Amino acid sequence: MDYKFPDNLKYTSSHEWVKIEEDIATVGITDYAQHQLGDIVFIQLPDLGTSVEKETSIGEIESVKAVGDLIMPLSGEIIEINEKLADNPELINSSPFEEGWILKVKFSNYDEVNSLLSVTKYKELVQSEEK
Amino acid sequence: MKKQEVQGVKKTPLYDIHIKLGARMVEFAGFYMPVQYESIIKEHKTVRSNAGVFDITHMGEFLFEGRDVISFLQYIMINDLNLLEPSKGQYSIMCYENGTVVDDLVYYEETPERFRMIVNASNREKDLEWLNDHIGNQDVKITNLSDERCRLAFQGPNADQLFRPLVDVDLSKINRFYFADCNLNKTPIFIARTGYTGEKGFEISFENKYAEKIWNDLTNTGASPIGLGARDSLRLEACYSLYGHEISDSITPIEAGLNWLAKPKEGIDYIGKEILLNQKSKGTERIIVGLNLIERGIIRENYKIFKDGQEIGYVTSGGYSPTLDKTIGLGLVQSQYSEVGTELEIEIRGKLLKGIIVPIPFYRNV
Repeated sequence: MDYKFPDNLKYTSSHEWVKIEEDIATVGITDYAQHQLGDIVFIQLPDLGTSVEKETSIGEIESVKAVGDLIMPLSGEIIEINEKLADNPELINSSPFEEGWILKVKFSNYDEVNSLLSVTKYKELVQSEEK
Repeated sequence: MKKQEVQGVKKTPLYDIHIKLGARMVEFAGFYMPVQYESIIKEHKTVRSNAGVFDITHMGEFLFEGRDVISFLQYIMINDLNLLEPSKGQYSIMCYENGTVVDDLVYYEETPERFRMIVNASNREKDLEWLNDHIGNQDVKITNLSDERCRLAFQGPNADQLFRPLVDVDLSKINRFYFADCNLNKTPIFIARTGYTGEKGFEISFENKYAEKIWNDLTNTGASPIGLGARDSLRLEACYSLYGHEISDSITPIEAGLNWLAKPKEGIDYIGKEILLNQKSKGTERIIVGLNLIERGIIRENYKIFKDGQEIGYVTSGGYSPTLDKTIGLGLVQSQYSEVGTELEIEIRGKLLKGIIVPIPFYRNV
């Protein structure tokens, strides 16, 4: 299977992507993750302003066949969520890295950014899961 | 996805075609089966709007021959074979003595001494053993045709129109649950007007060697390949019971709301009769109901159901309905809380969300 792996992003082992712009991180799930879930029909997200620790579950992504957790890639405060996903959760399938972004986090611990996966490491991870 | 093949898992004669079509394969009831080709929602909507072709070869197919076939089945089955005639099929259930379910199935009367039966994939071996154990000295011979024949479903509002040019039989003369032996582009097939989607359509069976040809003939009509994912969402909208969910070896057909199936059959004894007829007249403590959520979320199998903080049952099947664009489910609840309109709570991953009991089926077009 050919999945998209944009190389300007960071990744997590739980299949989130992270785009870092100064102290704001935009978060979504990867092309591989949306393929695994299949048609996404509902997404449950936390309220704006919630502060969450890295690696805790902050949302649920429900597809026709399965439910997946959205895991916080960085500790911080949720400052924006993609309102379009409430009525159009399928944007995560059709455009996982663009229109299907899920939320934005204001973070302060730059060390956590360094522990995210590079695109090369993440590709390796997906390849090993595919086997 | 490339996953290592597990030893002992069978392939249907259409396995290579599914792979070529890019299907996501899963292991189901001992077979590699396509769960989806592209998108469950898209496949679901295709069956509701046009027509789809399903590989259901994993299901079991048995042939019954002998002078005592009818009396044998009358004792095993809860439906009444006196309602049958040659060229007609019947949906039925076979129960244990305590009224719970061995399997649900369809049998077709070719002649009073020759029946064909289609059973659930996951119950093939168990059913065969159960049936053989009850033959005794009756003149009944059961042949397992499952591995030598291929089974497909062709379902959707356009099923008749697309199928008609392919066969040498007048489809308008085959009523619901009737069947015929005919030729599909010169290939001999068994065709029945039955299905599991809530749409018009057919189920067919034929020798394995014709599998590829018939699959191609059917998909060339404009009907699309449909995987098991959509098969499940279609049957859930139509509220057809699924073994292991709404009926099982711990749920009776009466609890599943299939009262019409348990026939009085006066003067004829059958396994489970006493308990089933008793439940039918007095009611049961638990009953299957239809569920919707008032709050947003997706209902799934095995979620617990509460009323005023007290656990009253669980979800037997649940998911997203592509036709209705909302979550739907079936649940087994205490009968005193089973009235349509009753509000309740469903526990979804630690949170209690408001739900309501609704009329079923959610959707049928047959």
